[in-house]
Amino acid sequence: MRNIAEIFKKEIRFYFSTPIAYVVMFIFAAVFGFLYFRNLTYYSELSYQLMQNQYFAQRVDLILGVFAPVFNSNSIILLMVIPPISMRLFAEEKKSGTIELLFTYPLRDVQMVLGKWLAAVTILLCMLALTVPAPFMAFGFAKSAEWGPVLSGYLGMFLMSLAFLSLGILISALAENQIVAIIVSYGTLLAFWFIGWAVDPDSGRQIGKILGELSIISHLTNFIKGVINTTDLVYYLLFIFSSLFLTLRVLESKRWRG
Amino acid sequence: MYGQTVAVKNVSFEVNKGEILGFLGPNGAGKTTMMRVITGYFPPTDGDAIVAGHSVLTEPLEVKRRIGYVPENPSMYKEMKVVDYLKFIGSIKGVPRAHVGESVDRVIRRCALQSVTGKHIGQLSKGFQQRVALGQALVNDPPVLILDEPTSGLDPKQIHEIRELIKSMAGTRTIILSTHILPEVSMTCSKVVIINEGEIVAVDSTDNIGSRFAQHNQIEMIVQGQPEKIIEKLSELEGIMRIDNMSNRYTLDVEKDRDLRAQVAKKIIESGFDLLEMRTKAMSLEDVFLRLVMEEEGV
Repeated sequence: MRNIAEIFKKEIRFYFSTPIAYVVMFIFAAVFGFLYFRNLTYYSELSYQLMQNQYFAQRVDLILGVFAPVFNSNSIILLMVIPPISMRLFAEEKKSGTIELLFTYPLRDVQMVLGKWLAAVTILLCMLALTVPAPFMAFGFAKSAEWGPVLSGYLGMFLMSLAFLSLGILISALAENQIVAIIVSYGTLLAFWFIGWAVDPDSGRQIGKILGELSIISHLTNFIKGVINTTDLVYYLLFIFSSLFLTLRVLESKRWRG
Repeated sequence: MYGQTVAVKNVSFEVNKGEILGFLGPNGAGKTTMMRVITGYFPPTDGDAIVAGHSVLTEPLEVKRRIGYVPENPSMYKEMKVVDYLKFIGSIKGVPRAHVGESVDRVIRRCALQSVTGKHIGQLSKGFQQRVALGQALVNDPPVLILDEPTSGLDPKQIHEIRELIKSMAGTRTIILSTHILPEVSMTCSKVVIINEGEIVAVDSTDNIGSRFAQHNQIEMIVQGQPEKIIEKLSELEGIMRIDNMSNRYTLDVEKDRDLRAQVAKKIIESGFDLLEMRTKAMSLEDVFLRLVMEEEGV
């Protein structure tokens, strides 16, 4: 436990003593803010018009009108800002040679991986925390606050981001430098994103369904709608767990190969 | 193994508590590989290393707790301050939380780092960085220290300081250091392992190794007189293998285990020359090293 905490502290200190954390958080908050503002103003204009009609007035919904589109677009921003957080975790230690001493300290690989991973998760949580004022603001103007779908949307974004991070740390352990790590991370994440579009899931073909299930983004949709599905939960947890497990195997094989 | 090339093979030696062992070998001989195996950085494909009773194969964490390692070009976290870095290393090396501060203070004094505690490691000179590296190795007070070319890249003053530091750290500790600098071994080590191309060519105490591998002793002397005549007279003596001279300085290679000093002196005086100076010279570590390494290569 103590070793994990020490590695965690060292990584956190690094993130905040260099511009990385600030830059990533600023970009994320700025883009999120812009998306949110655009959707909210669009929605308020639209709802004003819809109010003229009794039938449509009942259909007006902050979740469908604002949060679902914002959360959906947000997943793209997360895909952009998470690899810069994860790329350095191992690649930097390998490039600068600090990994040699690290490997000779009485540390288990799992402590190293968890300490680093948790530090990156903390940055992610700080990032998501920056967006929390948004729903408070929106619900402050609304007659009734519907928190359920917003919370499940956040849970979905958090799980998906954890999946991005875990894949990122695996690639960082494989890559010899950070540039390679970030490019391969983008490539792999985009592949997991697009895989669902390879074959139309509604075409009735089995392969379409399978690829659709593999897609890292398709599992977010239910969360955003306010539905927490076991399949989606298991998908993300399995994705995270296998990435971290493979990271451990990679470190072990690096040792054996010297 | 690095890829398919066997880096080190059939290597076997022992170091006892309190000894300073020198790994001596030309660059690329396998010194670093051997040290990395001992530190648990990577496991041997065959064989084992036992450190303070623990095997690197089966109990790597126990071994790592007992070792302080300074790699050849120690890479440390450049953006960390010296004192924070040492605290961090102390903690992950298992120094009890309450004693971390105390251990770090001790190491700072020991390695004379007082003036740079608040500086970032990246800003320090090579000499100070080397001391910080020694500091991180010492912070948990390990019984075994492994130093890979501890003086490489330092200026002569720094080399001297680091050597003194290393010597002062011996005593209760076992130190293994590698080097390709010969005087370093005779100056700091009590025992030498000479390796070449991944194999041990000699293991012995620093004092013994010179005489053990010497095939002959040398007598150096200064004699006044005509060189041709002196050489002619000396050649009459039995047991002299070779005579070299530079003006009035003479070097005689004498068969091992024979002391010819008395006969040589008598011969020179009897022949009417003046003997001004005479001394014996044992084969230096450098001669031994060169000979062993050359023989290996079949030169």
